[in-house]
Order: sequence, then C-alpha cells, then structure tokens
Amino acid sequence: MKAVLRLVLAQVRRDRWQLAVWIAGIALLGFATAAAVAAQFGDESARAAIIAVAAANPAFLFLRGIPDGTGLGSVVFFQGYAFTAVLAGLMNTFLVIRHTRGDEEAGRAELLGAGPLSRAVPLAATLILASAANTVLAACVAAGYVLAGLPGSGSVVAGLAVGAVGLFFAAVAAGTAQLLPSARAANGAAAALVGAAYLVRGIGDAMGTPSPALDAVASGWPSMLSPIGWGQRSRPFAAAGIGPVLVLAAAAAVLAAVAVLYRQRRDLGESVLPEHPGPARASAAGRTLTGLAWRLQRSTLAGWFAAAAVLGSVAGAFGPVVAREVEGNPSLTDLISRLVPGTEVGVVDVFGAALMGIAGVLAAAAGVQAVLRLRAEESEGRAELLLAGSVSPARWMGASLTVAALSTTVVCAAAGTAAAVCLALTGSPPAGAAVFLAAGLAHAPAALVFLAAAALIFAVVPRHTVQLGWGLLAAGLVLGQFGELLRLPAWLQNVSPFRYSSALPVEDLNVTAAGILLSVAAAGALAAARLLHKRDLTP
Amino acid sequence: MGVRSLVIETSGLVKEFGRTRALNGLDLQVPEGEVHGFLGPNGAGKSTTLRILLGLVRPSSGSVRVFGWDPWVEPVRTHREIGYVPGDVSLWPNLTGGEVIDLLTGLRGGAEERRRRELVEEFGLDPTRKARTYSRGNRQKVALIAAFARPARLYLLDEPSSGLDPLMDSAFRRRVRMVRDERATVLLSSHILTEVEALCGSVTIIRSGTAVESGSLAALRHLHRTHFRVSGPADPEALQRLGGVWDLTAADGVVEFETDPADLPRVMSAVAAAGPAGLEVSPPSLESLFLRHYRDRARQ
Repeated sequence: MKAVLRLVLAQVRRDRWQLAVWIAGIALLGFATAAAVAAQFGDESARAAIIAVAAANPAFLFLRGIPDGTGLGSVVFFQGYAFTAVLAGLMNTFLVIRHTRGDEEAGRAELLGAGPLSRAVPLAATLILASAANTVLAACVAAGYVLAGLPGSGSVVAGLAVGAVGLFFAAVAAGTAQLLPSARAANGAAAALVGAAYLVRGIGDAMGTPSPALDAVASGWPSMLSPIGWGQRSRPFAAAGIGPVLVLAAAAAVLAAVAVLYRQRRDLGESVLPEHPGPARASAAGRTLTGLAWRLQRSTLAGWFAAAAVLGSVAGAFGPVVAREVEGNPSLTDLISRLVPGTEVGVVDVFGAALMGIAGVLAAAAGVQAVLRLRAEESEGRAELLLAGSVSPARWMGASLTVAALSTTVVCAAAGTAAAVCLALTGSPPAGAAVFLAAGLAHAPAALVFLAAAALIFAVVPRHTVQLGWGLLAAGLVLGQFGELLRLPAWLQNVSPFRYSSALPVEDLNVTAAGILLSVAAAGALAAARLLHKRDLTP
Repeated sequence: MGVRSLVIETSGLVKEFGRTRALNGLDLQVPEGEVHGFLGPNGAGKSTTLRILLGLVRPSSGSVRVFGWDPWVEPVRTHREIGYVPGDVSLWPNLTGGEVIDLLTGLRGGAEERRRRELVEEFGLDPTRKARTYSRGNRQKVALIAAFARPARLYLLDEPSSGLDPLMDSAFRRRVRMVRDERATVLLSSHILTEVEALCGSVTIIRSGTAVESGSLAALRHLHRTHFRVSGPADPEALQRLGGVWDLTAADGVVEFETDPADLPRVMSAVAAAGPAGLEVSPPSLESLFLRHYRDRARQ
C-alpha cells in the first residue's frame, strides 16, 4: 500500500502543473459562464426568453445540451455543462494514457516494473490519481459556481456530474491503454470516445421534446447512451439527484476493474490488438519528407475526418427534421422570429452554420496537430536524423505545413460534403444542399491562420510549441463559443481569426476577409520558415 | 605523405547554451581520408561538436568548415556527402526499420542497393518490424545501415557502437575499415579508448569543451600507461619505492597501480620477483587518464 501511495505521489509530482492548469481552466470556465449569465440574464423573464429560443432550436440543443428550467443555475448548466464535460473527459484520457501506455512505450514502465510491485500497481496508482484529480475538479467546479452566486447544493451536484464524467473516461482510457499497442492509438481511441459521447448526447438532445412552456426539454433516447448525457441527467439546478452520478461512478469502477485485471495478466508491452510487422521497403512516397509527414498524420487525420463527417451528417440529416418540427408549430416560429429578429432564415441554415463553425475548429485542430508534430520530431531526436540528410530546415517544415494545410482543408470539406449529401438525401433542393460544401470550406482560411501561428511559435520558442499551439486554439474556441456570452471586450473577440470567417449560408461569403486570412496564413508560414533558419536544433 | 586537404576544420569553437559553456575554444582538424577518433568523457561536448559540424547548431563564436563550406550556411550541400549516426537513435515508432532506412537514404539521394542488402544481412536486422518494437541496439543498427548504405565522403559517428553486441561491433568495425579503404573520412566520437585505438589513425581528446590532446595515435603513446592489478604477496611499499609507479592502492591483498611504458620492464620484474598469486594487466580507463592529465596540469 505504501508503494502505491509513493507511486501516486510520484505521478502527482510529474503532473502537478498540467493537472493544475486543466482543473483551474475548467473551473474558471464554469465560473466565468455563471458570472456572465448572472450579469446578462439577471431577471427571470430574460432567462425565460433565451431558454424558449434555445428549447425550440435543435442547433442549441445539439451543441449545448437541454435546458432544464429558467433558474439562474439551470441556465448556467445548460450553457456550460456539455463543453465542461468534454474537457473533463479529455483531461482524464490524456492523464491515464500518459502514465500507462505512454510510460510503457517510453520504457519507464519497465523500470517501475522491475521494482517489488505487482504488475497492475502502476495502473491502479494512476486510477487513484485520476479519482483524486476528479474529486478536486468536482470541488473546484462547485466552488466556481458558488462564487458566482449559484445555489450551493446544485453547484455541488453539478461539480459531481463533471467529475463523474471525468472519472468514467479515466476508466475508458485505462481500457484503451490495454487494447492498443501505442500511446498515440490509445489516446486517439479514448479521445474519440469522448467525442462520440458528446455527439450521441447531442443527437439525443436535438431529438428531445420541448415542454409546452418551452422552459425545458426532455432528451431523446440516444442521450441515455452517452456518459455525458448521464451527467446531464443529474439535473443539478432543477431536480438534483446524484443517482446518475453514482451510475457513472459504478460504470467507471467496472471498466477500471476489467482493465486492472487484464493488466495483471498481460505481458509488459503486450496489447489486445497486437503490433503487426510491416513492409521491409518504403514506397517511393515514403522516401520523401512530404511522404513521411503524411504517414505520421494520416491516422490522426482519419479521426478528425470522421468527426467532421459525422458533424456534417448531423447538420444535414437533422436540420430538415428539426425544421419540420419547428415549422409545424406556428407559436414556436412566431416566438423565434420575435425573439431573434434575424431569424427569418431557415432553421436548417442556422443549425448547419453553427455546426460548420465547430467543424472549422476541428479542421484547425487537425492542422495544428500536424504542425506541432514538428516539435515532437525535434525534441525526440528524429529531426536530427532527417536534417543530417541533404535537407534544409525550411523544406522540412514546408513538408509538414503542406500536409497540415491539406488536413485542414480536407476536414472542412468533409464536414461540408457530408452536410450537403445528407441534405440532398433528405430531399432538399440541390442548390441549397451544395452551398454547405462552401459553408464548410469557408472556415478553412481562418483555420489556416492557426497553423501559421503554430509554425511561428515553433520557429521562435520551440520549447513552448505544444502548450502555446494548443493554447491558441483553445483561446480561439473559447472566444468563438463563449466570447459573446462572456461579454469579452470587442478587441479581444476580434483577435480570433474565426471572427472573420463567413457563416454560410446564414451570411454571404466575404471574399475580402477570406483573402486577407489566407494572406496572413501564407505570410506567417513564410516568416516561420525564415526564422527557423536562424535557430539551433533545440532538443 | 603530401599535404592533404582538411575535410573538417574548426578553430576557437565556442558554444554556449544559456549559462553553460558546452564548447570552449575547440580546435579540430581532420584531413581527408583519415579515420579520426574524437575521444572524451560524457558531457565533454562531443555531440555538440558533431551537431555544429552538421550545421544543426550554430557556434556562439569560432569558425567551422566542412569540405571547405560553412555547414550552418550550406547544410544541404554539405550533407549530401555526409553519413551520420547520432548517439541516441530515436526512430518513428510506426515505421518499420526498412522504411526508415529507405527514408533516410532517400533524403541523401537513395541507397546503393547492393550495400543496403549486405548491411541488413551483416547486422542481422529484421526490416519488417516496427521501430516501436526495436531495442536500443536495433535502433542503432538502423541508423548505421542508413549511414553506410550510401557511400559518403565523410562519416560522422557519435558513439555508434555503444548499443551493439561484440559480434555486431566487429561488423561495424569492418564497415569503418571498408570506407577508410575507399578514402572516405571518418570522425568517430567515443569514450572508449580501445575502440579508438582499434579503428583510428589519429585522435583528438576533448574535455570540458576544449581539445586537450591531438595527434596521431602513436604520438599519444605518452598517455599510455598500463594498469596492473596484482593479488597475493606483493609489497606495496617496495613497489612505491621503485619509481615509475602511479596511483598505487592496496586493499584486501590486492594492489593496483599504473606504470609508464618506459618503466614497464623494471616494474614487471619487480612484480614477478614478489611471486604474485594473480595478475591482471589492462589499458587504463579514459577516466583515470583524464584524472592524471588534469592533476599533472594542476601541478605545473
């Protein structure tokens, strides 16, 4: 037991900054959301109005979750919960894989395994760490809500819901770590499951039935299949109950137990899905830098591609269903047009445009990931091998940037195409469907700016590439999704490149803005290549 | 022997990383066609020097020329003629060994097929395995095969045999001799004196970022003490009085010391006369060599 504790402490020590940033960031987002809602929708009638619009609009339901009453807490939970839960899920999958399959791959697990420990002890220690981290997370989220003036008991249940989702995904990651042979694959699979949980909840919630007063929505059945949906069912500020939280915790315990038992029986480095031998020779493309960059990116790109395609399909397939629902309900259409004057535009378009915006963020993430890989190549010593060949640093970076830009464009196109195809299949006029392909691609220029920014960071401050690169994207996401809500100053909101994307088909395409974004991206990439020449290889 | 052109020429090379000074005025000259040892303890600045020679790192001051070019300014042209094996080989986990070899040689213009085949066979590498599953020695083999599969004018080898077993080590040594016979230049960094002795015609010894000795191996013979480990009846004090005996220690009936080549006959007869029960004679470790070198300097 003492050994387990020592191991947990060693893992805490290794993660202290990373976990602190995650937990503080998630809690702060909750606090800021709550404070903003309290400031903007202080009186009940304002909240009732916004909730009525949201309840009638499946795009909101899909993205944010279901409204559950018009109390301050209920509105805050509706606005913030789903994103918070996704962040908690990702925090936990990264945490668990880092200490399990990641350590195994890096050889550290061997060092620990040589000690007088049972095989599964390091995994158990990681799960203990995850439990502790999620407890702290739950407490911090609750504290953030209380500080912003939400009721105490509801805040605690909300915190527990977020922590329980986190714990569930810690157990999921413990499972994928047993299933897959590499840390990258295990991380990818676990993160994909977090995404799937968000998506399934989104579909269920978008299919939900609004109450007659339009102050709440009952989720459709698919939400029951999602752990994030289960967390939502704790209904912290309406009819709080920790039953769903306990269900999540129990499910996590079962998953974790299976993972621990399997780890106890398997060899070090072994996995359920084994590593297969590969070709003895490289293909012609495999002998070039671009071929290598593609090879390293393709499996992650497949994940982003799938996520964007699913998102696009949801936009295309659900839009019309939703529109019929709304249009069949005259009082509802009336309400929407009264509350949001701009909304003579079709519900399909609003829904689609919102989802294409999210697809733009996915596209940026896919590209940024490819750019950040440059740093991993450098810090892990592989860039040295490449650059010792007759290759200039600019060409090396150029190959990765090409693949990154391609990834971004492909992800945008995937979302747009999927939306267009699904709309056409559900009987929309072809022209109305086709515009969605453009809607997807319209976000590519802004996304490309993030790639150029990541490349510049890499060229100038290589040691901080990963944190700053993802940090910028996270900032872009928060500004885009929460900027209006948090009433951030206009100049700050205007910093985000996504601000200048055209939300087709609701807005017209602003060709000038797109052109400027593309020029900024190109200039940034060129500057990065030049600056890279000026610095040392930095392990 | 005529004047050979210098393939590598550095003078007054200084490299600072923040407050630490990795290189402190390093001079290194390697003429064409020479197998040159670059000897020094861990952290002496060997890898930093090799990275500067590759133009991967820019010196804080001093000059570098490789084939007469500045590698920082013209890395592409310089690298076309260089085969490099880093000290700590890290590969792409999801690529097979064969794919990595093709990639790395491809970036220099492609492997010579016959050599590549021979090398894979000689080193007993399974090229179909993913790099993730390779041991340290196998990763090193991949880098060695990639470096030697295409003929180069200069090979930069950073402790290349540190992960290899004796059999593979001899395969490696055969390769170095082969490229030497092809008139290629080799810079072999190492912290093992015997390895350098076996392969190199000349050597530069580096410590704390400065070249402390440089010359042909024969000219460095004065560094060459012999280490004795004698067990059984031996009188340490008598040995000490003999002169030419250094660093003498005696414990548990075992006496250890070092002697200079000139004193070897005298010391050996004295040891023999004492009637030892056991005797081990070995070259001195690099560490003791440095220890002595620096102590001697401090005395001056």
